Amino acid sequence: MASLITCPHCGTRPKEEFSIRGAAAPKRPSATAKDEDWHRYVYVRDNPKGRYQEYWHHVAGCRRFLVVDRDNLTHEVFGVTDASDFERARTAG
Amino acid sequence: MSINLLQRHVLEDHISGFETDPNPNHLAVVRRPVIFSVLAHAGHEAAVAEALKAASDLAPRFCGPSEWLAVSQTVGAETIGGLLSNIPGASFADQSDGKVLMTISGPSVRKILAKCVAVDLHSDVFAEGDSANMLCCHVAANVARTGADTFEIIVPRSFAGSVFDELMEMGREHALTRGFSD
Repeated sequence: MASLITCPHCGTRPKEEFSIRGAAAPKRPSATAKDEDWHRYVYVRDNPKGRYQEYWHHVAGCRRFLVVDRDNLTHEVFGVTDASDFERARTAG
Repeated sequence: MSINLLQRHVLEDHISGFETDPNPNHLAVVRRPVIFSVLAHAGHEAAVAEALKAASDLAPRFCGPSEWLAVSQTVGAETIGGLLSNIPGASFADQSDGKVLMTISGPSVRKILAKCVAVDLHSDVFAEGDSANMLCCHVAANVARTGADTFEIIVPRSFAGSVFDELMEMGREHALTRGFSD
């Protein structure tokens, strides 16, 4: 169930401990990127149905940003990673 | 009558009136604990964790990756500060005035905490010596198991009153008593 998130640092926790901070898939443009890129990053977001990667901040726990890979239709959670590991894997791959 | 305002505990008004003998289920508030927050520098995480575990007079409480609370009820802040400054790769800050330490113990402690915490506290999952940050009575607290039926809860000072009142409310059916531990 999506209301239980298994934090890689703290273990299984209720969703009340987290703050959802939006989609993790869009890549942040560089500081010198064009205004169009920033506009697209800040305002033009997809609203997908189904599997979805999202930033969750563990506010009441370890206070780390996590990336929760979940299905927003069935509430199934496929995986939770620390956001720094997620970013490292994305830049490496 | 003289009142020492410097030593006044934030829960003093919540623990007023007559003092009863403690029941088996008891909530003890530690009057002057020493609580430091400790952060490990990048690359020193494992070494600092080891040093904290090995240190005497000090109980490390896990907060998050490379972050702990160092708690002591036996020695003063200067001793703990000196001890922590000898650990290479660690930064620390004294939080004693900003945190309140409560110890809840008794045979019904898990039944009481089940109404305050949405985390499995069974000893198979949360064993003696384990600690973690979690929501306790809607407040981000650090909960540690220090014995089979003993838990220590560290909450921010400004939330201590509300957490204390809610713990007492949840412990009412189990005849939970309260008092300062010293």
